[in-house]
Amino acid sequence: MNQLAPLPMAIPLISAAIALLCRRWRAVQRAISVIALATALGMSIALLVRADTHGPVVARIGGWSASIGISYVIDRFAAMMLVISTLTLLAVLVFAIGEGSAKSTSPIFHPVYLVLAAGVAAAFSTGDLFHLFVSFEILLMASYVLLTLDGDEAQVRAGTTYVVINTIESVVLLVAIGLVYASTGTLSMAELPARLAELDPGLRTGLHLLLLIAFGLKAAVFPLFFWLPDSYPSARSPITAVFAGLLTKVGVYAIVRTQTLLFADAHSTLLLWVAALTMVIGVLGAIAQNDVKRILSFHIVSQIGYMVFGIALGGPAAIAATIFFLIHQIPVKTSLFLVDGMIEQATGTSRLDRLSGLLHRSGFLAALFVIPALSLAGIPPLSGFVGKLGLITAGLDAGDGILVAVAITCSLLTLVSMVKIWLSVFWGEPTPNPKVAASVGAAAADPQTRWPIPMVTATVALVAIGLTIAVAAGPLHGLCERAAAEIVSPGDTIRIVLGS
Amino acid sequence: MIAVLVLAHFVAGSVVLVAGRTLRRWIFAVAIAPVLGALITVATLVPGVLDGDVGFHRYRWIDGLSLAVTIRLDGFATVMALVVAGIGAAVLVYAWSYFSHDESPARVVRFAGFFTLFAGAMLGLVVAGDVWTLFVCWELTSVLSFVLIGLDDHLPSARIAAQRALLVTGAGGLVMLGGIVCLVHASGTADLEHLFAIAPTSATAQVGLVMILIGAFAKSAQVPFHFWLPGAMAAPTPVSAFLHSATMVKAGVVVVARFAPAFASIGWWRPLLVIVGGSTMLVGGVAALRRDDAKQSLAFGTVSQLGFLVVLFGIGEPAATAAGVAMLVAHALFKSGLFLAIGAVEHATGSRDLRRLSGVGRSLPHLAVAAGLCTLSMIGLPPLIGFVGKESALAALAEGERWSIVALVVVVVGSILTTAYSVRLFWAMFATKRSKVDQSENHFARIHHPPNVALTAPITVLALLSLAGGVAASPLGTRLSVAAESLDGAASAHLALWPGIHLPLLLSVLIVVAGAGLALVVLRTQWRPAPPTTRDSTLGERAYGRAYNGLLDGAKRITRVTQSGSLPVYVAVIFAVIVAAIGFALVRGAGGDWGDPVAADSVLQAAVALLAGVMAIAVVAARRRFVSVLLLGGVGQGLTVLFLLYGAPDLALTQFMIETLMIVAFVLVLRHLPTTYSSPPMWAPKALRIALSVAVGVTFAWFALSAGSGDRPTDVTDAVEHLSLPVAGGKNVVNVTIVDFRGVDTMGEITVFAVAALGVANLVTASRRGIGAPVSAATRFSRIGAQSMIFEQVTKMIFHITLLVSAYVALRGHNAPGGGFAGGLIAGAAFVFRLLAGDASNRQVATRLSPIVLIGTGMLLAIGTGFASLVAGNEFLETNVFDIHLPGVGRIHFPSAAIFDIGVYLLVIGVVIIVLSHLAARTHSAGADGAVT
Amino acid sequence: MSIALVVLIGVLFATGTYSMLHRSLTRIVLGVGLIGNGVNLLLIVAGSRPGLPPIVGKLTGSTDPIPQALVLTAIVIGFALQAFLLALAWRSWTLDGNDDVEDDIEDRKIADRRRRAIRTTEAARRAERERQLSGDDNQPAGEATNLGAR
Repeated sequence: MNQLAPLPMAIPLISAAIALLCRRWRAVQRAISVIALATALGMSIALLVRADTHGPVVARIGGWSASIGISYVIDRFAAMMLVISTLTLLAVLVFAIGEGSAKSTSPIFHPVYLVLAAGVAAAFSTGDLFHLFVSFEILLMASYVLLTLDGDEAQVRAGTTYVVINTIESVVLLVAIGLVYASTGTLSMAELPARLAELDPGLRTGLHLLLLIAFGLKAAVFPLFFWLPDSYPSARSPITAVFAGLLTKVGVYAIVRTQTLLFADAHSTLLLWVAALTMVIGVLGAIAQNDVKRILSFHIVSQIGYMVFGIALGGPAAIAATIFFLIHQIPVKTSLFLVDGMIEQATGTSRLDRLSGLLHRSGFLAALFVIPALSLAGIPPLSGFVGKLGLITAGLDAGDGILVAVAITCSLLTLVSMVKIWLSVFWGEPTPNPKVAASVGAAAADPQTRWPIPMVTATVALVAIGLTIAVAAGPLHGLCERAAAEIVSPGDTIRIVLGS
Repeated sequence: MIAVLVLAHFVAGSVVLVAGRTLRRWIFAVAIAPVLGALITVATLVPGVLDGDVGFHRYRWIDGLSLAVTIRLDGFATVMALVVAGIGAAVLVYAWSYFSHDESPARVVRFAGFFTLFAGAMLGLVVAGDVWTLFVCWELTSVLSFVLIGLDDHLPSARIAAQRALLVTGAGGLVMLGGIVCLVHASGTADLEHLFAIAPTSATAQVGLVMILIGAFAKSAQVPFHFWLPGAMAAPTPVSAFLHSATMVKAGVVVVARFAPAFASIGWWRPLLVIVGGSTMLVGGVAALRRDDAKQSLAFGTVSQLGFLVVLFGIGEPAATAAGVAMLVAHALFKSGLFLAIGAVEHATGSRDLRRLSGVGRSLPHLAVAAGLCTLSMIGLPPLIGFVGKESALAALAEGERWSIVALVVVVVGSILTTAYSVRLFWAMFATKRSKVDQSENHFARIHHPPNVALTAPITVLALLSLAGGVAASPLGTRLSVAAESLDGAASAHLALWPGIHLPLLLSVLIVVAGAGLALVVLRTQWRPAPPTTRDSTLGERAYGRAYNGLLDGAKRITRVTQSGSLPVYVAVIFAVIVAAIGFALVRGAGGDWGDPVAADSVLQAAVALLAGVMAIAVVAARRRFVSVLLLGGVGQGLTVLFLLYGAPDLALTQFMIETLMIVAFVLVLRHLPTTYSSPPMWAPKALRIALSVAVGVTFAWFALSAGSGDRPTDVTDAVEHLSLPVAGGKNVVNVTIVDFRGVDTMGEITVFAVAALGVANLVTASRRGIGAPVSAATRFSRIGAQSMIFEQVTKMIFHITLLVSAYVALRGHNAPGGGFAGGLIAGAAFVFRLLAGDASNRQVATRLSPIVLIGTGMLLAIGTGFASLVAGNEFLETNVFDIHLPGVGRIHFPSAAIFDIGVYLLVIGVVIIVLSHLAARTHSAGADGAVT
Repeated sequence: MSIALVVLIGVLFATGTYSMLHRSLTRIVLGVGLIGNGVNLLLIVAGSRPGLPPIVGKLTGSTDPIPQALVLTAIVIGFALQAFLLALAWRSWTLDGNDDVEDDIEDRKIADRRRRAIRTTEAARRAERERQLSGDDNQPAGEATNLGAR
């Protein structure tokens, strides 16, 4: 079983190669990518079960020890992230196939998408700091290509911003890692904690802050978030959705590892302030926007603030809450963007002032929107409420009254902007479908909108997952607590990895 | 059991919403089923409850957060449940015919569905046994009320009202959440019973209590949050009757009722509740006198009554609590009855404007009588339950302590107002008036379609219940006292229809007389508000408006600052943050240890470094694109030399090839761009930009110097060096590291390489995508500058040699500088130059093999080896050494890492060809599509 | 540690940063190239001491092979990045005839619209109130911006 740890990364990767070779047969490509992600999902679930019952799954790639070679270390946290991310990737893939991103454009969509999946999986699995950098580069390069898939003007501008900012992130990360090796002589995340602890505090601080800046850029925390709302909305809906769901969360994942493993609980006050500002600035940005995609993009930032809050609090309870929030956030956020995709499919726009009365054209769509939206706003009994409750309880136990107040206020502001969307998009006089209006004349605009089955299925599936997280919150939270306990005191994992 | 009922509501509601269209006439049947079910079930439980047994169920949800769903059916919960289910059923029956000829079926479906959902949430709220269950239902009712208020969402006023109601109650709910968290934190339990038993009074707990009360006030429309309730009248009358008079707005009262007995002893409790409730009662009463819209008037009446209830329960004295229970029931009965009556009148006449109604009583006597009974109950006249309730309330307050007396005064004044607006409302609705405006009959609304039985029956039932409650006061009292005791052990309601001559009775008389007088004055003088715009917006309303717009405005201000949308600014901010961070670290002592710095390892190194540095500066100084690019190439090759000097030949080789290809790529692209840079307006003065850049350079260099100077453990290095040959079978440790020790890094690296190539191709071909005909290889390349005979011949000649060299470099890699990557670059370069030479035969050579296939195959090989070793039962990517025996050739010693390297080799060739050939594409006509599609 | 190289690292980072602060995509790519070189040099210089190539047999006094392996990877990724950025520049040129990075349109809108938006919300609020109090709600629904009011 241990050797199989790389598979969630390797299966999509080799499938990407095959899909590339089959570039002339789109149907085959579709089949390959769906099967690949499904298999990877099964693999991830198996790993989760294994990790939960038998402790961390460790693969020594190339058969070399963790210090010489690269190890893939899959503890509960990593496994959970693998499962939820692969699930989301699969759902979005299905959506994309339905929406037509897969068909209408270049044959490289499927290979690149699979590479993205591989990169995400590698980032969650790796136990080697430099390989983490490589994983980031894999998923980043894939995301560059996906973001600019159409190569139209908006995408080129957005792509430029996105690529340049992430290049800086890569530079910072590479420097940090290089200097970590220069000062400790190892890259294995199992060996690093001990060796970093021996460094002189100033140097330690420097390395720590560099890593935090790199991961913070990736996670889009204040004051490094501005690139996100300017780049994500320009991509095709499914691509925006998967970026929104996953990429920032990879950064958060890395921050969790940094704060729990590499530099246990250092500079948490700094992080607390970052968290507060990220929550507030993000949600205010959302309120200021007039476009569904952009509102949601700013919410990504705001929600990241909650996770950073949990990380900064530290301690098993807070980390468990953070993990739960992370797990809930991925499907919920993604489904919201998929709903936006359905809106655009039906109306051809996502601008608030051009949309109205969708409720009367499809109550179904409204339901699909309102469930994750309320969850995001933390309305009980949805998953978002559970996540936020865990965080604020932990915050209160830690005596951070102000932060708790900020967190609660922010979820009111989230509600405000969600109501803003609801009022102008779903309520009001139904507007005729522009597409139909253009073709047959406004009178003939159809009242009931239809979407390709895959789109609907994927969206419904993700919304359902969100609900399941709420219903099964008991066991899931238990799992999160076990995972948190595991990463807050990583001694055993380290011993297993180093095989001593 | 109860939980099942609540769930049944949700199921039924969802069914209605989903299948409403197909259910058609059966919508209301489905909707009312769970409500009736709940009514009957709870009714059957009543005897048991009266004997004092309490239905209690707890369902685990999240142990980690001590979240659970607790159902607790004590006396008070039973009463409330009966009220919710009973009035819910009545209203649904009423709604059945109210919506009978509604033009939009979808609207009816949404009403019925959400109404049932709401009934479920409300039921859950009243039987909740712990704070979390309470809170969950609390928020659900807020959301559902939002949807129901906005039922007519094509009306802006409805949308605005719904939004306001949700944001006010939602904000209250979140404050309450904070309060609950504090209280649970302080008391350690979420279960209401335990909570009240402990009754924590620590600072945290008290803060929590205040926050919870704020939530309750917001929900129960207490001053200053009361302004949302009248707006909520935008909802259809059945909704107003159920949500905004009988049930949801009582949620806050319920919370006060439950908490008061335990916490009323805290110093600030009674003053706070008496002041808030009292002012609400008065404000509501006055406002109710000033409305010409019957629903608005009644809505403010509700506000006033809610204030009354808050005062009663807030006192927290046993007697007052008991009276409160009675008053609660009484109010639910007469207020919903009146709302339904107004709805019936509007339904019949199409108007609810008091000025336009006349003679309704004459034509609809039945309705008038029913409404009359409700009105009397509201005024508090015998023999109606309202009288009984108010009597006991006055009695309770009269014998209470200081704040009770204050409350008593307020209540008396408030009740006078109540009497006044009740009389006025009833008269204005049903009396036959002579129009002052004009004598013509058409000034008044006519009766279009008189209400049928289904519409009036519920009202009648409610009215009769009010009557029965009054007549059967004392038996009812004994029943209700059970409910009161479940709130406060000492409480017992002694209701009586004829309490005898004593203070309360006298007060009642005073109230009625004074109220009637006031009503008379009001009606005579036609005392009506000045143009409402000024008086209408209450303090809270203005505050809300200002807050909301302030929020929108502030959000835009801030976002404008944080989100400039300009890339250079973003880059600058990021670098500034980096400088700050490293600077902080350096100050913290990271800059201390410099090890043993030498000026330079060798003169040559110093010279090259100097040269490279100068060229780097020249790059940014250059005005012409070509110049700066060539200078960049110079810097790159300078590094090549430095690497070589440093003892890194593999690095030097790769760097050399990469930089060469990079320059070629640059040149290919820059052919199209203007030779000099445009100078768009800059976002910051040059000095600032230079300062930032220098800061970046200094901090990074300084940090590197001090980070790299310490002596560190070299165990890993040693291990790598010693394992290289014996185990991994390679002399060149660097190459062994990249293909074996860290092979999976290389796997990722080539993936990045490949994807980048795909991206480049995609961008270049984007302009021409959709144009069907596949591009012939011949048109794939544009000539670069003038055709050069020599260039062609030379490339032709060296082509094959180069290929051989590349293969050699690739294969020797494992033992000497080189490797698949370097080899691939060389071979790729060979192809590219052959292509660029642009002569037909050259093109054929180049296009014979498809670069995409090369890439795919390369990836397949490289990753395939990983899987192969898995299949062989080893670790992923573990090197197996194959000994193949070829006849004639003999045994071949063949490590699988070599296959990996071959994969790399092929992939790199493909990437180089794709990237450069596409960048070479002529911008408009050409653009190498063939390679990709 | 060789000061000459450390200084060169500093220069490469400084020039690279300065170049990346421009709007011209070409300059930005140049900046990425310069900084990229700076990083690679930094990894080698900070990560290992100068010496002989690490080839088995003459390992005594050889440099540390691992930083070299890392930098090999970094160089390649850097090339991939620059190539992609060049393609972006190429595309941007074919689209609007220059390679300057424009500001984000939506953000500009927010900034510019602000004043107007406030005015509309106020107007809307007034209109809204009158509608509500005049009791007759049958006027056409306000558009999205109005809904912001109240």
